[in-house]
Amino acid sequence: MLKKLLLVAAALVILVGLFAGCVFIGLFEKSVVAKDIEQPLSVDQMKALAERGAYVAVAADCYACHTAKDGAPWAGGLPFATPFGTLYATNISPDKENGIGSWTRAEFHRAVRDGIGRRGHLFPAMPYASYRNMTPEDVDAVYAYLMTRAPMNVPNKPAELTFPFNIRQGLTFWNLFNLPGSAASADAARSETWNRGRYLTDALAHCGECHTPRNLLMGMRQDAYLQGALLEGVVAPDITKAGLTQMGFEPSVLASFMKSGISNQGAMANQMFEVVHFSTQYMSRDDLNALSAYLFDLDKMPDSTIPPEPPKPVAIASDVAASAKTTYVAVCSGCHGADGQGIPHVVVPLTTNTSLRLSSGRNLIRAVLDGIPAQHFPGLERMQPMPGFKTLLTDQQVADLANWLRASWGGQEPKVTLDDVRQTRLDN
Amino acid sequence: MTIATKKLSLTINDQAVGPIDVPEAMMMQDFLYEYLNLTASRMGCGQGICHACTIIVEKDDGALEETRTCIMGAHWFAGKKVRTVEGHAKRDATGAIVALSPVQQAFIEHFSFQCGYCTPGFVTGATVLMDQLKRNPIRREELEPTIVEALDRHICRCSGYVRYLEAVRDLILQTPGLVKA
Repeated sequence: MLKKLLLVAAALVILVGLFAGCVFIGLFEKSVVAKDIEQPLSVDQMKALAERGAYVAVAADCYACHTAKDGAPWAGGLPFATPFGTLYATNISPDKENGIGSWTRAEFHRAVRDGIGRRGHLFPAMPYASYRNMTPEDVDAVYAYLMTRAPMNVPNKPAELTFPFNIRQGLTFWNLFNLPGSAASADAARSETWNRGRYLTDALAHCGECHTPRNLLMGMRQDAYLQGALLEGVVAPDITKAGLTQMGFEPSVLASFMKSGISNQGAMANQMFEVVHFSTQYMSRDDLNALSAYLFDLDKMPDSTIPPEPPKPVAIASDVAASAKTTYVAVCSGCHGADGQGIPHVVVPLTTNTSLRLSSGRNLIRAVLDGIPAQHFPGLERMQPMPGFKTLLTDQQVADLANWLRASWGGQEPKVTLDDVRQTRLDN
Repeated sequence: MTIATKKLSLTINDQAVGPIDVPEAMMMQDFLYEYLNLTASRMGCGQGICHACTIIVEKDDGALEETRTCIMGAHWFAGKKVRTVEGHAKRDATGAIVALSPVQQAFIEHFSFQCGYCTPGFVTGATVLMDQLKRNPIRREELEPTIVEALDRHICRCSGYVRYLEAVRDLILQTPGLVKA
């Protein structure tokens, strides 16, 4: 009996080992790059595609990651801190030695849509799980555009990952669970606008990479699609229709917000500021409308909409309110106004601010502790820096303030705890 | 309609002030101007950007901290010890000024300011910087970047920044103990 069991166990181990081996060597990997992509593009085709490629690359926000702060354009180098170590964006300028200058059309397609580059698997910090849904025409356009950029002779920085995450071939396992076998196809039941919006959201702008929570394997959880996630110590909010409505958005306001970065709901901050700065401000009005219509699950932008009802104030203990009001008057009201009304073009209002309406108090606490740097927005808008108050306010004062603000203007239960504030301080 | 007030007591330039009834929502700068006639800290932008309005808060351990008054409520300073620009120079028993503070003197010697509107803020900022260096001296090569970092937030629209920088640099170099050998 025991021998039989042992045999079964051994067989199982061998089978699992075999399966793992098959996964590892890539037997289960499925390319979405069609055979005809092997055919190089002609010089004329490249020329014709490049202009549209500039727009696609902007919508796909390639530049923001592939250019280090103060670094050479498209030359990579921007660090990505992950739980497994630090990765660096690569040089995608057409430099033959360090960039993609000698890459073929097919190699580029496979990198963008399959996550397999010339030197093996890419790490999923490159959002190939989203770009997989890009059309071959758009990938061609980006390829043609990038080849028109100036080559940057800047070497790539090697990834600094811990074992076993530094084994690129190991990404076959990640891909097995997190990379869809095929690209999404258009939904015939929905309008062209809705489908364009979905394409922008899922493929080009890769919104889900931040706004969809990740599973244990760090893949996007499709069961919680766009429902918000915590990254780099802040909440990337729920941007489903329900989440957007809770934040106070209506479709037309959302579309303008993506263009300008400023609305009654606040000013774009953290990574979203960069998204507006490098990408969405340049999107066409039609695309922004499509993006917004899709996120609100509409087939077309409505001619007029009614803003969501302002949240109803939630009752709060009088001692918390008293503590918070004292803090508010002392350190907030000078800029945000005694009644939270803000100053147009200078300071955002708090009465309509999304950070007060999110289910999590994290972003508000973060802003209170660290402040927000000065930011230049599209056009002539700019926001002065908000000072951080981490050395001036105690955890209790911050918690009381956050609870009172969120209860009074955000309609949120006062559930911010001292621990939340402590944790936010530690996460910095 | 009456404005809600609250008693405020604090120490300003080593003098106990209050308790005085002060409107709850009044900013510190208005309190200094309207209640105490201390008008040296300047109202510039009113938005916490230009730093012409700063004063010093003396912390319990004696360390100095620069604080804006245009965006901070008067009651925030309750019980605190603060120093405004009127409190920097040495005075005799009658209150007459007998010597400017080293920072003030250095600014005059270097012709650091022209219209002078930003100067109280620079005096405050440089004084706080001197205090920090006394506690944590720096290496010579770190000096210029440290001054720039400390005073960069102060906005000057007429004489420029070079003569402020030179004044602060020379003063720090002449003052023993601020720069490591």
